[in-house]
Amino acid sequence: MAITAEQALGAVAAGASARVDADVAPLFKVGDRVRARNINPRSHTRMPRYLHGCEGVVERDFGVFAFPDSHAHEQGDQPQHVYSVRFSAKDVWGREGGERDFLLVDMWDQYLDIVS
Amino acid sequence: MNGVHDLGGMDGLGPVQPEQDEPVFHAEWEKRVFGLFLPVFACGYYNIDQFRHAIERMGATAYLNTSYYEHWLHAYETLLVEKGVLTAEELAARQRKIAAEVA
Amino acid sequence: MASAAHTRPLGEIEIRVKALESLLVEKGLVDPAAVDALIDTYEHKVGPHNGARVVARAWVDAPYKQRLLNDGTAAIAELGYSGLQGEDLVVVENTPEVHNVLVCTLCSCYPWPTLGLPPVWYKSAPYRSRVVVDPRSVLQEFGLQLPASAEVRVWDSTSEVRYLVLPERPAGTAHLTEEQLAALVTRDAMIGVAKVAA
Repeated sequence: MAITAEQALGAVAAGASARVDADVAPLFKVGDRVRARNINPRSHTRMPRYLHGCEGVVERDFGVFAFPDSHAHEQGDQPQHVYSVRFSAKDVWGREGGERDFLLVDMWDQYLDIVS
Repeated sequence: MNGVHDLGGMDGLGPVQPEQDEPVFHAEWEKRVFGLFLPVFACGYYNIDQFRHAIERMGATAYLNTSYYEHWLHAYETLLVEKGVLTAEELAARQRKIAAEVA
Repeated sequence: MASAAHTRPLGEIEIRVKALESLLVEKGLVDPAAVDALIDTYEHKVGPHNGARVVARAWVDAPYKQRLLNDGTAAIAELGYSGLQGEDLVVVENTPEVHNVLVCTLCSCYPWPTLGLPPVWYKSAPYRSRVVVDPRSVLQEFGLQLPASAEVRVWDSTSEVRYLVLPERPAGTAHLTEEQLAALVTRDAMIGVAKVAA
């Protein structure tokens, strides 16, 4: 039942990827202007509060991963795309944000809306 | 959840204090807590997101006043009791026994 | 505060840890030899020297650097580094115009295969709270003064993707071998709170 030392080191080398091998279409594409949703679940989320309602641009699509908000609560993987989204510090922090500072934050499909 | 762990942009938490020539671990118990991570994970009682959520649930004051590996220890205890692997009484009894042995 | 809690004597914590481990061992769920092997690996084998080799290779081998920036996971695996907390690695390049710095505001995500386990300050509330809102003053406290013209990119690791900063190669190092270059590269430079000094 318990893993041996050899199995433990094998698991370190193999890793434990959160990627899901599922054919899920992305909801956004690189270059899209998006808004971080103002979501406040009482349960687990990887949406940082400071981004609520902020607009950014999709810089990169990392592919399909498990969704932590459901995965943490035994509600399945809900596989979806994860993107690197670029936010301007001015948009996030207002006057306190640096003119030439940017935040790049990984966002799941369900954290974003398209800005039309 | 809008917990205290969601720290980005919060003020008043003091200066960053880097330690010169910092060791990987600061105490023997930290090593054991770290070393348990993968073996306990491999038992399959919880996933990484449940582990993170267990830390987020520990309470704001406790979160800020305890170190990283104490957060992990709290997550093991919480999840293994919730999953029925251990009971809180069993843990408490073993802690009393060990405390009595070292006293 | 959290940083002080790291050094105070913790008799009660030690008892909790021993109680937990002994129960798990008795129930046949944990083999202490596996715990020992994992401690040894992360205390002695995996660490920033791995990332330093990646950086030095990128500095001397332009095609490798291109592969590293295109697909960090695959290029880092070429040097034998992969696995837990580095399943998906992205490398971001510092230049005179763009400075990248890493954080995980929600927990303490960190690229274990290339940097080992994170230092206490990286996991601490002060760093995680401040670097996203006031990166330049945090960098200044680390001794890094950036020109106002430089763009700062703060990478908040919210997902399972892990980042590594490719620092600038310092001037005056043209004569150094790859191994000598690797010896110059620090953990802090690969997090983005320092530059590499010659």
